[in-house]
Amino acid sequence: MRRQSIVCTVTAVLAVVLAGCSSGTGSSGTGPAASGSSTGTGAAALVDVKVGVIPIVDVAPIYLGVKQGFFADQGLKLSLTTAQGGAAIVPGVVSGQFQFGFSNVLSLMLAEQNGVPIKAISNGVASTGVAGKDFGALVVKKGSAITSAKDLVGKKVAINTLKNINEVAVRDSVQKAGGDPSKVSFVELGFDAMPAALAKGQIDAALVVEPALATVKAQGATVIASPYVDVAPELTVAMYFTSTSYAQQHADVVKEFRTALAQSLAYADGHPDDVRAVLGSYTKIPADTLKQITLPSWPADVNRASLQTLGQLAVGYGLLTKAPDLDTLLP
Amino acid sequence: MSRTAPAGPRGAALGTAGLVAFAALWEAVTRTGLVDGRFLPPFSRTVAALGRELGDGTFWSALGDTLTGWALGLAIATAAGIAAGFVIALVPYLRRATASTIEFLRPIPSVALIPLVVLVYGTEIASVLVLVVYASFWQVLVQVLYGAQDVDPVAEETARAYGLGPWARLRHVLWPTALPYLMTGVRLAAAVALILAITAELVIGAPGLGNLIAVAQDSQAVPEMYALILVTGLLGVVVNVGARAVERRALAWHQSVRGEVPV
Repeated sequence: MRRQSIVCTVTAVLAVVLAGCSSGTGSSGTGPAASGSSTGTGAAALVDVKVGVIPIVDVAPIYLGVKQGFFADQGLKLSLTTAQGGAAIVPGVVSGQFQFGFSNVLSLMLAEQNGVPIKAISNGVASTGVAGKDFGALVVKKGSAITSAKDLVGKKVAINTLKNINEVAVRDSVQKAGGDPSKVSFVELGFDAMPAALAKGQIDAALVVEPALATVKAQGATVIASPYVDVAPELTVAMYFTSTSYAQQHADVVKEFRTALAQSLAYADGHPDDVRAVLGSYTKIPADTLKQITLPSWPADVNRASLQTLGQLAVGYGLLTKAPDLDTLLP
Repeated sequence: MSRTAPAGPRGAALGTAGLVAFAALWEAVTRTGLVDGRFLPPFSRTVAALGRELGDGTFWSALGDTLTGWALGLAIATAAGIAAGFVIALVPYLRRATASTIEFLRPIPSVALIPLVVLVYGTEIASVLVLVVYASFWQVLVQVLYGAQDVDPVAEETARAYGLGPWARLRHVLWPTALPYLMTGVRLAAAVALILAITAELVIGAPGLGNLIAVAQDSQAVPEMYALILVTGLLGVVVNVGARAVERRALAWHQSVRGEVPV
């Protein structure tokens, strides 16, 4: 994710260029999507669907849904491929390698604004909406003089990707706390590297998400703000999406996927112990950290109002050139 | 024989001593608090984590994926490098025409091509192969070109005087001259291919050891991450030892391996 902010921009441009050719091959029925027609002959045949996900806490519901058989009930056979961030997933979906993908909402807004043909189909993960008890937090080192987001003016704040959702969120927290958001200096650093950088004092603060958040909390770091909560109540942070051509040609598969996903999200929200268990299967989060992490919220629906607010903020901070076209992007 | 062999029992003992010293230094800097043990676990803890990894099926399938990408990529790059190298070397016109293009393409880092590769080949092994082949092809090609230029004019003229045709000259003059260079190229390419295979998996997320490292990073599983990094280092040693063995065998007749005959 962090490694590829430039890569992301380049890919977005390339994606547009190549979208034409790849959608051509998609419609001729060479991809796994073509197996959708085979359901006509055998009623029990499952449709193969490839989904690009990131190996993080956020996508636990889809792993649980597969385990609980929600997708099989809808006639879908999911194969989950882990990729390193949206920079690999967005082109994968556009070129038809994946039928569905998972990405944070601002990356999707940026892609939509650049003309990349994608369509969000479901909520992915949302903030808990509870300040101080969210899955992402702005933290400072134990004993730091910084006690509020306002104090970050002139300070060095680490975020995983520059010019993306976390930059908007931190700037908004600073603004809401009464500071000048344009006077914060950002450095790009992977979540995994943040605990060490914070402990060594190389950065003054960091926006950390789970499971790195559990690590910094164990180090005694102090949470000074919950940026996702500051942006909007119950902010939708990431969504599942598909390409516009796939959405048009395989409306039935999209509908089935969405139904199973809604069940999965609801199940994950109601069974935190199962979530922690499934996390052990596709991540390497140590068992004692697993007990400490704050789980996000997984509502079935995208919080449209929260995305409108986020979009406006992103325009205000110069990340987007105009307000995102939510009618085109959202389901 | 033992006097000239570069890796006799003494060489192996020295190599092992170097590794042991490195492990001891690692243990010492973390135990004394010179480096924070939370962020760089001591060698002993890393080895314990490695033990757990070895008992895990996903580790072995990832290792298999990485080695497949490495071997296939290296084979393609070597074959293509040899073929292109000899064709270019044998046709002076081609050599002049391609010299600047090769120097232009060669320094382009393979990883800079990642966005393009992901778009065309997705996150599967094909992406890894493209990056591996691109990086290691040049190593082989350039060495073959240098080797071909090193042909002794007297040997070449003698071969011509004896009426050897183009194929015979390729087989008996050019090939033996270029072989030591080619072997160096393959040995360099083997290391580069391994680096690129793991980098591609790490950055793109293609299945393999690199992907496991990325998952461990994202999971705050620090000892596991260093255990996997240790594995990549050991793989590098194995690859280098293997490449040297192949080199010694293929060049047993050559002065560099045979050594000077003691007078």
